[in-house]
Amino acid sequence: MSFSAKRSGTLDLDLGFERHTLDNGLRVILHRDARLPLVTVNLWYHVGSKNERPGRTGFAHLFEHMLFQGSEHVGTNDHFRIVQQVGGVANGSTWYDRTNYYETLPSHHLELGLWLESDRMGFLLPALTQENLDTQRDVVMNERRQRVENQPYGMAGERLHELLYPPDHPYHWPVIGYMEDIAAATLEEVRTFFRTYYTPNNAVLTLVGDFDPDDALAKVERWFGEIPAGPPVPPVHVPQGPLGGEQREVREVDVRLPRIYYGFHAPAYGERGWYAADMLAATLSGGKSSRLFQDLVYDRQIAQDVGVYVSPYEEVATFMVVATARPGVAAETLETAISEQLDRAATELPSAEEMERARNRMLTEYYTALQKLDNRADLFAQLTTYFDDPGGIEREIEQYLELDGSELRDFAARHLVASERAVVTFVPRGAQESRPE
Amino acid sequence: MSEPTRSALMDRSLPPAPGRNRAFHFPSFLRHKLANGLEVLAARLPDVPLVSLELVTPAGGQQDPRGQEGLAALTAGVIDEGTRRRSSLEIAAHVERLGGYLVAGIDWDEGFLSTGLLAQHLPAGLDLLAEVATEPTFPDAEIERLRKQRLTEIVRRGQDPGIVAEDRLAAVVYRGTVYDHPSAGLPESLAALTRDDLVGFYRSHYTLAGSKLIAVGDLDPEAILRDAEERFAALPAGPPERPEIVPVPLGGVEVHVVDRPGGAQTELRIGHAGVPRTDPDYIPLIVLNTILGGKFTSRINLSLRERHGYTYGASSRFTPRLGPGPFVVDAAVATESAGAAAVETLAEIRRIREELVEPHELEETVSYVSGVFPYTFQTTSDLAKRLETLAVYNLPNDYFERYLKRLPTITREEILTVARRHLHPDRIAVVAVGPAEALLPQLEPLGKVTVTRVAE
Repeated sequence: MSFSAKRSGTLDLDLGFERHTLDNGLRVILHRDARLPLVTVNLWYHVGSKNERPGRTGFAHLFEHMLFQGSEHVGTNDHFRIVQQVGGVANGSTWYDRTNYYETLPSHHLELGLWLESDRMGFLLPALTQENLDTQRDVVMNERRQRVENQPYGMAGERLHELLYPPDHPYHWPVIGYMEDIAAATLEEVRTFFRTYYTPNNAVLTLVGDFDPDDALAKVERWFGEIPAGPPVPPVHVPQGPLGGEQREVREVDVRLPRIYYGFHAPAYGERGWYAADMLAATLSGGKSSRLFQDLVYDRQIAQDVGVYVSPYEEVATFMVVATARPGVAAETLETAISEQLDRAATELPSAEEMERARNRMLTEYYTALQKLDNRADLFAQLTTYFDDPGGIEREIEQYLELDGSELRDFAARHLVASERAVVTFVPRGAQESRPE
Repeated sequence: MSEPTRSALMDRSLPPAPGRNRAFHFPSFLRHKLANGLEVLAARLPDVPLVSLELVTPAGGQQDPRGQEGLAALTAGVIDEGTRRRSSLEIAAHVERLGGYLVAGIDWDEGFLSTGLLAQHLPAGLDLLAEVATEPTFPDAEIERLRKQRLTEIVRRGQDPGIVAEDRLAAVVYRGTVYDHPSAGLPESLAALTRDDLVGFYRSHYTLAGSKLIAVGDLDPEAILRDAEERFAALPAGPPERPEIVPVPLGGVEVHVVDRPGGAQTELRIGHAGVPRTDPDYIPLIVLNTILGGKFTSRINLSLRERHGYTYGASSRFTPRLGPGPFVVDAAVATESAGAAAVETLAEIRRIREELVEPHELEETVSYVSGVFPYTFQTTSDLAKRLETLAVYNLPNDYFERYLKRLPTITREEILTVARRHLHPDRIAVVAVGPAEALLPQLEPLGKVTVTRVAE
């Protein structure tokens, strides 16, 4: 069986776009998709938690919350109200490398989205108040409790990153930040952060949906053109180098099912090695016929679930393996089984059938995701923000489809080695004392 | 490009006027009940080369007999684990080679067998769906494997404070009915289920009459209709009878604290039994709920999150089911604010039954609920979900057009009437999962308190 699309090696989808740069440096991507009378206004700022420093963590994310608290011409809490009353949806998210915002609106309200986004890019400072900051600090502290501290294995991602990256590495601390840092954020810091990073020259505006590109560009120019460019963004220092020795931690928590997290460094998103890592992840844990699932969950039934994840990080990626033990199965048993499969991936080539399954799965995933305007806009924005390459979607697919099994094996051999991993294990309380050692 | 200058003529003080509205039309679809009883709903979405196919059967959790909780779920779990032609792993390898997935599961109303794959593999997808639905073998080894997995899943539910809170609420407000336990089952009932139970349930619930085939994507609906008749003809005869689910209203405000010492936060659920999805008040209830807790700018979220900072988010819903699904407000709150958050939530529920909503609230909410409708039609699975709603709740073909026309006719008085009819703040359960020691003094003023511990 083989993949057959209109053009071999690409998607059977119209992903045509226009690209413009305003005089203030704002990059604008326009992609017309008239299936539905909708438009999405999507803004990526090239700033994330990696632009923070130790002791002042969580700032990029807290700032994202403040961007929904109104700007000079938009009242506190009015952002969502204005979007929703015309039948739109809005949200934002913060990650290590970037922060994004979007409104998806009935297409005749395109200009409303441009008004809202340009107001907070150009005219935020007059609306910042101590009262709004105090409330949002409480909201974010509750977000941290809900997503991290009150979840059975919620500390995993945070601890894994702390072990995988040294204290001065910008991926060392969690995106949401540490509690004491969130509590300490001041209004003056919010202002400085805005002036430094929320500039048109540090942003990508993507419009996807049902609009006339010439008309849309004129409107973008009208709302964003007068916002002045800012100074260049300060560079981020990223310490290089391998882990140089395994890092381990065992945490006793209120659970009955042990769970194990492995983390390894992987090539940065966009490098060929990243795609090899992602494809390997699919052969290891994508679906019931994948190797780890079949071995740990199906055959030996020592795991309840297993997953392998590679995230699109800009500086260096993290290759993560997560598995939850069945009751009564020791974490060590699970660890041995995972290590065996990773060693196998480093020595044996994946079969032709495994490669075919992974390729077909990748295509279905792209098609499924790209049905949604928000996802299309995010992918254009991601490739433009990181690589200045809005046409990169087709090249991504090509990378996946042309990968050879030996590249997956070579990635595993080079990166998935014991001396280069961090391991965080969660065990039930009391499990350590009762171990026969 | 023109020189950008700060123009004195640029007025940012008001939102720009909208352009010309392009109307949204519900995608056309085919709906036909075959002579053998199977209902087929199919729609063509040609823009993306994907198809999603789903067989919906009257085999949902509501069909679990007392003492056999989890029977529907386990039957669905094992149905795709072996056919007369293929083993579990052969089925998986086959569908994954087609770039697809195959999922079997249930909700309270129905059983689901769905596959999604690249459109070029549609015939293979239909064949596989029919094979799994009509020729399952229920191998003993697979039953044992899935049983252990489900038992472990129950352990995992007990570790998650949000799920513990939901399960506790269901146990309290649906006491004595089939909705009072997780549809996944209970440890004792799962342990006792036999292969004969599963096969029996399959024969009486995976029935041709009462089932629906839903096909959406880059496909020809007429061809689906022609293919379906023969492919699924071997399903058992039926359909099963649908149970009546009648919860007993609570006697007052019942507070249920599940002690989780050392928890970093408190999971709060406040609710009672609601109405069936087919209730004539369902559309005004959607609007009522959206004002109360169904959107970011709802009364409850603005109060708990934006005014008080008690939580990252609070929301409410009337859960759609064939029986009276729950009305629930949920929020994860700072433990020291749990009492205040519960009081505030109950006050909002009371207020919306006592006073007319503001004219602008109603207008904005109706505009939101109707305006956001096209947004929910972007994907093949979005449309499949809508067709499923029509089929499962036996709604007419033009239901969604009627829904869009009905929304602007809803009045403030009507909202007040349905609020009084369907919200019961004086017969409601308040469930809090967190450190009991800190919660009790805050929650005791609300009503009678029962304390339990998170299952060990």
